[in-house]
Amino acid sequence: MFKRILVANRGEIALRVFRACREMGIETVAVFSEADRGSAYLEMADEAYCIGPAKAADSYLKIDRVISAAEIGNAQAIHPGYGFLAENADFAEICRSCNLEFIGPTHEAMALVGDKNAARRIARDVGVPTVPGSDGLIRDAKEALAVARRIGYPVLVKAAAGGGGRGMRVALDDEALGAALKQAEAEADAAFGRGDLYLEKYVEHPRHVEVQILADNHGTVIHLWERDCTMQRRHQKLLEESPAPRLDDSVRRAVCESAVRLVKAAGYTNAGTVEFIVDRHGKYFFIEVNARIQVEHPVTEAVTGVDLIKAQIRLAAGEPLWLRQEEIRPQGAAIECRINAEDASKGFRPSPGIIHRIIPPGGPGVRFDSHVHVGYTVTQYYDSLIGKLIVHQPTRDEAIASMKRSLRELRIEGVKTTVPLHLEILNHPAFCEARIDTTFIERSWPS
Amino acid sequence: MSGPPSSQDVFDLRRIRRLVELMNEHELGEIDLRQGEMRVRIRRGGEAPAGPPARPAHASPAVGPAPVAPAPPPAPPVPAPIVEEEHIVLIKSPMVGTFYPAPDPDSPAYVQVGDHVGPETVVCIVEAMKVFNQIPAEVSGRVVSVLVGNGEPVEYGQPMFKVDTRK
Repeated sequence: MFKRILVANRGEIALRVFRACREMGIETVAVFSEADRGSAYLEMADEAYCIGPAKAADSYLKIDRVISAAEIGNAQAIHPGYGFLAENADFAEICRSCNLEFIGPTHEAMALVGDKNAARRIARDVGVPTVPGSDGLIRDAKEALAVARRIGYPVLVKAAAGGGGRGMRVALDDEALGAALKQAEAEADAAFGRGDLYLEKYVEHPRHVEVQILADNHGTVIHLWERDCTMQRRHQKLLEESPAPRLDDSVRRAVCESAVRLVKAAGYTNAGTVEFIVDRHGKYFFIEVNARIQVEHPVTEAVTGVDLIKAQIRLAAGEPLWLRQEEIRPQGAAIECRINAEDASKGFRPSPGIIHRIIPPGGPGVRFDSHVHVGYTVTQYYDSLIGKLIVHQPTRDEAIASMKRSLRELRIEGVKTTVPLHLEILNHPAFCEARIDTTFIERSWPS
Repeated sequence: MSGPPSSQDVFDLRRIRRLVELMNEHELGEIDLRQGEMRVRIRRGGEAPAGPPARPAHASPAVGPAPVAPAPPPAPPVPAPIVEEEHIVLIKSPMVGTFYPAPDPDSPAYVQVGDHVGPETVVCIVEAMKVFNQIPAEVSGRVVSVLVGNGEPVEYGQPMFKVDTRK
């Protein structure tokens, strides 16, 4: 097992990894930018090094600086968290070439599943349904038009290297398709340095269902059931839950087994998430693999009792899986609300500022993962997530009641947060009856 | 991490430094914070400077605790912030790595206390990922102290030398 791990991230996920390591008897090295200097969560690490100025491109995204900090800090492994370098296959490869284990999949598997086109091909090879679309990248507008007419409008234009909703456009007809192609290409090129696009059928009223998997270096893959992340705004998740409500048990099993098949075929190891969309008839389609730990992982931890960060570390150290599929028996219902420093009444604009009061909620089955404290400055440099509130109860109705109670207990003053929006969602009859799709928030709270 | 345990304490030195940085960054005249019975008030000396902007970071704002009203428990002593005189400039590490004062173990140090340096003068090496980066002074003056020992880790922005820039 590793003696010392560097965490190449910041905020709540850095703190989450420090906590797991502390419980495992592993020392930690933190890296931070000048904007995060003095944040209390850094004191939970055994050592901390400033690696650059506030701008992420000059600090958290600088591979050489992160590696250099790992070397002077004597770390044996690097946990990338999510975002920043977490899904950068080059970074994973460089870590290992410097004798630092990267806590995640191999760089080959990461590159393979990170290319959505290649991932779709693998899915089709192992009989996992994919959304009808172009066979590979689109070469030009003429080909796009032909594909769109074959699969039928509406169609979705997507970036091969995309993520987080960037480089994605919906087109309802031939005319809109031309504009969508140009916009998506420019956006993808700016965001990812690659303008490659593909086309697929736009599934109406979709729900977003994803499967957590764990895979060891010895060929064993298990799933930890599903999370429903349908509550999104512009492809940014806001509220996640498990189990997925109103999902037929046969569909649930089929989705989870599909995820395992796909991950096995890709030679993928460590923790990962396979994303699907499910239409209102229970038809499901593979979307993509997220080759990292996800923000919403605590939802799965709540219902399965498996600590996913510790699992990642043990798997990276080469341990064979210690859990059998039949031992993963989810209990009850869990919900997570992302507490972002955003003003929902002003188009979800980031709301930076100094937290001058915070009271975290408590009580049975309540977890609040947050790195902020009184005096903490929420800057404009990074994402606006300031905490994750997770509740776990025997049933979904009880979880909703517990979440509403916990959100009312949570007091944050100094910045605007998504708490009021979450309360509205939890009080909405459509959410309570789980009659929802991924456009629910945008339709119900147009900004 | 080796730091004061109570970072939420407004009297935490790093927090005060951060406040001073924030003041300089945003050209604030005064910051006044209270926590329980303790209070810290930081004020910049005099009127806002006219003419050329003050040198960043280590320019010298006036820092000190305001008198604390009925005081049980007594406020802990506030560590004096590092106030540098105008003519002292710090040479800071541009990267995280390992500090070496000499090109190799058998050679003398690039610079020693008392030496004069120019902007191009190499003052040390910072090794990062097996690359030995020669660090220029980027300032003219006389070295008055070396702040890091041979082979010690340095982080981004960490002061390595103090240089007196007076002619």
